[in-house]
Amino acid sequence: MRVLAAFLIFSAAICNAAELTPGRWEGVVHIPDRELTVVVDLDRGTGGAWVGSITVVGLDIKGAPLSDIVMKAPEIVFSVQTAPPPRGLQATFKGKVDPSGMLSGNFIEAGNTAPFSLRKTGPPNVEAPPRNTPVAKELEGEWKGEYELNGYKREVTLQLANQSQGATAEMVVVGKRTTKIPMDTVTQEGDFLSLQSRGMGMSYEGRFRKENQEIKGIFGQGPIEIPLVFHRGAAPKTQTP
Amino acid sequence: MFRGDPAHTGVYAGTAPRQFHRIKWKFTTGDRVFSSPVASGKVLYFAGDDGNIYAVDTDNGRQIWKRATGGPAPSTPAVEGGTVYVCSYDGRLYALNAQSGALKWKFATGGERRFEAKGIHGLQPRNQTIVDQFDVFLSSPVVIQGTVYFGSGDGNLYAVDANSGELRWKFQTGDVVHSSPAYADGALYFGSWDSRFYAVDAVTGKEKWRFQAGEDPLIHNQVGFQSSAAVINGVVYVGCRDSNLYALDVTTGKEKWRFNNEGSWVITSPAVKDGKVFFATSDSSLYRVVDAATGKSLLREDTKAYVFSSPAIAGDVVVYGVLNGTLQARDVNTGALLWEYQTEASKANKGWVLTSERKFNGPLVFHSPWREAATVAVDRQFNIGAIFSSPLIINGIVYFTSTDGCLYALE
Repeated sequence: MRVLAAFLIFSAAICNAAELTPGRWEGVVHIPDRELTVVVDLDRGTGGAWVGSITVVGLDIKGAPLSDIVMKAPEIVFSVQTAPPPRGLQATFKGKVDPSGMLSGNFIEAGNTAPFSLRKTGPPNVEAPPRNTPVAKELEGEWKGEYELNGYKREVTLQLANQSQGATAEMVVVGKRTTKIPMDTVTQEGDFLSLQSRGMGMSYEGRFRKENQEIKGIFGQGPIEIPLVFHRGAAPKTQTP
Repeated sequence: MFRGDPAHTGVYAGTAPRQFHRIKWKFTTGDRVFSSPVASGKVLYFAGDDGNIYAVDTDNGRQIWKRATGGPAPSTPAVEGGTVYVCSYDGRLYALNAQSGALKWKFATGGERRFEAKGIHGLQPRNQTIVDQFDVFLSSPVVIQGTVYFGSGDGNLYAVDANSGELRWKFQTGDVVHSSPAYADGALYFGSWDSRFYAVDAVTGKEKWRFQAGEDPLIHNQVGFQSSAAVINGVVYVGCRDSNLYALDVTTGKEKWRFNNEGSWVITSPAVKDGKVFFATSDSSLYRVVDAATGKSLLREDTKAYVFSSPAIAGDVVVYGVLNGTLQARDVNTGALLWEYQTEASKANKGWVLTSERKFNGPLVFHSPWREAATVAVDRQFNIGAIFSSPLIINGIVYFTSTDGCLYALE
């Protein structure tokens, strides 16, 4: 009898949880003494897999891609990582949709847990994450530059290569120590080359000057902006996708 | 006075508890407290951001008197000859009767201000002057042979007659002076936010030497002396926001060694004992011990969050506060954590300022360099019972203040 009762209660719990459908979900995370307003877009991507993006008002997070989206009825789990810790927000939502249509559960961040509640407000509008573009053939290969910060000279090597998913870039800064900066985003728009490393909070934006065979731009390290000009260090290597 | 003696060694008689037993008492003020407590007899003196100077009974934490000033008072008082001397943000140095709190005199400086710079710490707009939210302390007076010495936001080090409050001399630096001058052998040693460290004759106010530390014209983050110096055995030890701990020759100002903390500020005033220098850092959140003669690293322990509180040593225990709202006690020799006390505000962790490991939760706190975001972030950070004060240790009792507005006595 007890087993039957437990089965009935369990079944009722399942019946009380509705299935998540694609849409825009808006609501709040109830952090002690602070409410975070969030907008979550969840949709089916190509092949039927779930895709999503999130906006967190007040934390400068707009349309960040969701990852690890798991719909295992009745539980729904998804995560966001705006940049590697400790710089970026790394959080997980674990919740269920109740019969009234409310998606609620726990928001877990930095080892802390708080309840969240979201309500569907319309169709999904998932933001696509920025994609790397290819770079011009003449930009491929190794570039050398240098800059000075706080009285110390740094030598910088930039490697650009085209791959099937767009270009990749790696910057190596040699000063008192050697720092490799993997770039997450590489884009070329006309003469402009933009590189971003979210994890290290570094960026480079430069303009390719064909006549001088140089890329002239600004290296950003956190709040610091430093002029940085790259010249050819070595002949471009042929990259195979 | 601040750090226990005019040379600011940070070493106290007796021993601090090696185990935490209980809160003996707690005294609540009307606002955050950055001032460190000092004692004379069985009375503790400290000042609060509510603008009051307090006298509290060491035995039971009862208020003996309070005296209002014209502004917040994040300054550690000095008590000498029955008089309490303390600075306030109203730009005045107060001299109060230690028994009654009655005003003896007050001395007006050229006015207080906090360190400020264009686009400081990378905040925006970059071309606009912004106040440094981390300039949290006012100078703490030092009283020697009838003269009170203290620094001011108007850039001066002042020497004022302890009895009359009349100006004896003033020494102009290039920026805010919120460090406390250390005294040894007829000279005063102090740093300014102009990133220079000065030695000045205590009688004449004439400069003996100056030492130039690092500068940061880009974002003004790695610049300036906020730490107060310790002077012992012919050497000045002082931390700097250029991320170095310096050892300078007391006679010439020549650098003996520097210990670099890789971009992390040294706000704490170092404690010096048995040939070792004890200090802690901000961003890297480390408690460190280095050899006083060579600057060689001896110990390195994780404090989990920024430390602005200057370590206090009693016996074989060193105690300091952390901005995450914990007070940490370590073995002087091994660095082992003996005990920790966490304030209630820290436990409440409003707004998730802290991670579950009590580190600062960067993404939720410091998410934007724009407008008031940084000010709000720092305010949130300071509101979790952060401990900025340097602990006072007497007869095995540890006294300290917190931004939760309380003065604590732990045993």
